[in-house]
Amino acid sequence: MAMTEKNLGTHPVPWPAVPIPTRDEVYAGLSDAAKEYPIWLEENLHQKYNFDKPENLSRIRVLDLTTGMMIGHWASSQLAEMGADVIQVEPVGGDPARKLTPFGREEYMFTDSERGEKVGGLFLHEMRNKRSITLNLETERGREILRNLARHVDVIIENAPPGDFDAKGIGYRQLSQINPRLVYAWVGQRGQWGPLKDKPGMLEPVGQAACGFVHGTGQPKEFGGRPVRSAMWMADYVGGTVAAIGVLTALFYRDKVSGRGQFIEATAAESIIRILDYTWVWYGMDGSIRPRYGNWDLAINIYSVNPAKDGYMMIGGGHDRLWYRIWGTVSKERPEVEQLVVEDPKLKEVTDRLDHAANVKASTLLSEWLKDKTRAEAEVELLKEQVASGGVTTIDEVAEYPHFKYRGFLDLFKDRLYGEILYGTTPCLESYAPSRLKWIGRPVGYDNEEVYLYLLGLNAQDLKQLQAEGVI
Amino acid sequence: MATTEKDLMSLSFEEYCREVFDPEKVFEKPEPLKGYRVIDCTQYILGPSCGSYLAELGAEVIKFEMPRRGEPMRHTTPWNERSLYPLSRWMPDRGTGFGFVGANFNKYHVTLDFHKEEAKEIFRRFATKADIMIENYRPGTFDRWGIGPRQMMSHNPNLIYCWMGGFGGWGPGRVRASYDILGQAQGGAFGITGHPEFLGGTPSKHTIWLADYWGGMMGVMNILAALYRRETEGGGGTFIEISQVHGVARMLEYSLPLYKAFGVVRQRWGNWDTQLCVHGIVQCGLSSYPDSENPQENEEGYILISAHTDEDWEKLCAVMNRPDLRDKYPTHADRVKAESQIEIYTEIEKWTKDKTKEDVQAILDEAGIVNQPVWNSKEVAEHPHYHMRGTIRWMQDPVFGEMLVQGPPLLMSETPPRVKWLLRPVGMDNESVYQNLLGYSPDQIAQWEEEGVI
Repeated sequence: MAMTEKNLGTHPVPWPAVPIPTRDEVYAGLSDAAKEYPIWLEENLHQKYNFDKPENLSRIRVLDLTTGMMIGHWASSQLAEMGADVIQVEPVGGDPARKLTPFGREEYMFTDSERGEKVGGLFLHEMRNKRSITLNLETERGREILRNLARHVDVIIENAPPGDFDAKGIGYRQLSQINPRLVYAWVGQRGQWGPLKDKPGMLEPVGQAACGFVHGTGQPKEFGGRPVRSAMWMADYVGGTVAAIGVLTALFYRDKVSGRGQFIEATAAESIIRILDYTWVWYGMDGSIRPRYGNWDLAINIYSVNPAKDGYMMIGGGHDRLWYRIWGTVSKERPEVEQLVVEDPKLKEVTDRLDHAANVKASTLLSEWLKDKTRAEAEVELLKEQVASGGVTTIDEVAEYPHFKYRGFLDLFKDRLYGEILYGTTPCLESYAPSRLKWIGRPVGYDNEEVYLYLLGLNAQDLKQLQAEGVI
Repeated sequence: MATTEKDLMSLSFEEYCREVFDPEKVFEKPEPLKGYRVIDCTQYILGPSCGSYLAELGAEVIKFEMPRRGEPMRHTTPWNERSLYPLSRWMPDRGTGFGFVGANFNKYHVTLDFHKEEAKEIFRRFATKADIMIENYRPGTFDRWGIGPRQMMSHNPNLIYCWMGGFGGWGPGRVRASYDILGQAQGGAFGITGHPEFLGGTPSKHTIWLADYWGGMMGVMNILAALYRRETEGGGGTFIEISQVHGVARMLEYSLPLYKAFGVVRQRWGNWDTQLCVHGIVQCGLSSYPDSENPQENEEGYILISAHTDEDWEKLCAVMNRPDLRDKYPTHADRVKAESQIEIYTEIEKWTKDKTKEDVQAILDEAGIVNQPVWNSKEVAEHPHYHMRGTIRWMQDPVFGEMLVQGPPLLMSETPPRVKWLLRPVGMDNESVYQNLLGYSPDQIAQWEEEGVI
């Protein structure tokens, strides 16, 4: 219990604590010929060149009407990073997700310099490149304003309870009559129709639990394990990515073929069902229920995480070449392994090694070797043989990983309103029209004047009145 | 469609959705990427899943594999129990393992051994015939072989060339090999997932190949954005690089901002939620299937209970008959503290100890409290909800027969993605692709097969 109470402090840490390696250091010792291709890549892909290049979605405008959860915010983040003008529409007083902070600790929230408003790290991380306006859709005037906004946008994303917007006259059926080019996406946990359609307030990890993912993740009961959820609202991020793919597909079809928008739906649960690989074929074939298999893999040996001296270590060798390199490495110190593994006829063929007993044998022998080694020591030995391997890292190790820092997987952004924020960058690097970060976020309704003035022609007097009536 | 706009307006919302998203009508609707060709030189899951998603959207995806045995993922299957026969016309007694399923829908399968000199010549001819190319060989390999982004894009300046892999082709880690599980481990998601140490937990792998299958989606997303820009604004092709480790680091939520600003190193919090309480998964003491011999069924059940608002918390305390808990933790700020969560979930598990997950579900449904039983894959596979929506369904595969398979999770009213076939044997489309697209004679093709070029 003591560990949860330990105060980890609220002091900023230096970043980078260890300097980012220079290009000369990274490519030291390579011949000019060997250096040439990585440097060509770097010159074409490094994020420092982003602002010299165009954006893929610079002509697209998106209204994100989702609140309370991350599936919609994630989808619109992706579009915003690719250049779309995303307007986050929040209820008056702001999206409740702004208030989320670990263990309710306000001292871990971020404050903007202009208004002194607090916002949680989760929300801020996905408010990138978006503008914020407020709008009360519970009022008729608010809905009228939304109908007017719908004329000016290409995409709407919403996550209201199933049928709620339709009943209010602002669903796809109604808005598409105002703007037939509108692409309209509903996002949620299990669906907006069907016997399991979402109930109000349904949030991740409903999606993770409703698709077989949680049941299949974690150690088996025999190992003292229970099912476990992803630490992240992971199904929302996958579902949000599916929604973004849907939006792009619909825009492509609209502008290339039909001239018309369409209605899209993406859910957290079904997006994970899609990527639960062979689970359904396996069940359909012989009734097998996907079991928990801890940190090993059901279909690949060896491809597992096992305990090392200072943490956990991943080692993978899914085909013969790597398999023999792994045991070659281990045998240097433990010659008996050569005999136990390499000479075992049951382990000779890649497919023969997949049964449970073979997994147990391989992981046991590896763990024996790993238990006296730190992750770093094991990695040095295995990388000599080019084996895919590496430690399970903690967040501070992620933040200081030289490769990540050098490539900008994470970066320190100096925001006009929020100051210095360490954030995860888009994994989509592109030579022609790359994704990018322009600003980190906005306080609630920060862009009301600009959006309502320029898109709808409302004047300062109108805004004051709408504010007084609780509409914005 | 027979239904008119006017009819659609008169339907209830539920009926309307069933009509416009009806999975039975998917094949009556156009495919959004019809007429676009993808050359897919990828193995394992990250790249192949990207090709699969494009093929589900209607692109013509030609997948290149090593002659005879095909790509390594065909030789993975859970516990080596099941395979789909035949692997290929050359190896009819071998099969394709289930690991291959899900990442290779709707593709045309050809073989080509890139290590052979003729292969590079043959492959180069695809440059002008493709809109998109995806590839996941070690960085620089295709460049060295004269078929990398620089060469292929010089033949076809409109080509969208996407390399997808572990760490990326430049920077200190560029030579490192990677797998999904390494992406999870080094991207940070593995270390924060799992039960905390004081509950006997360890860092935990996501059971799915998350970094791969989701990384493939990020690839498709960027490819579609580039294609949209190319087709609507022009500007030509582009080179995209997707790193699976980088993808995982993007998903870490508040972890990185809080680390830098406050020195917080995020820890595991198991089945509870760091930011909402009650919003966690608890154990129900009774199994739903006590007589089953399957350990996946006869173990205790689990259920997610979501009652974080004051109103729902009050309801939950009422059904548990625990007014003392309500009084002790009246506000969300009281409940969400770490120490409070430990006590609250411990007390909830006392209440669920003599119940199955269905018992708890019934009580919570009755009280209007959001909940979700932790379903195993059988319970999901048999649920009519997913079958009605087409996201899990039986299909007749042209080669392998009747299969239970996942459908696209993306519902679209006008241009829905679809699964036409599960996979094909190695090299099944050699004759049609090499003759129809490149004009080689059947004799030539047969000779190359003989020589192991294709």
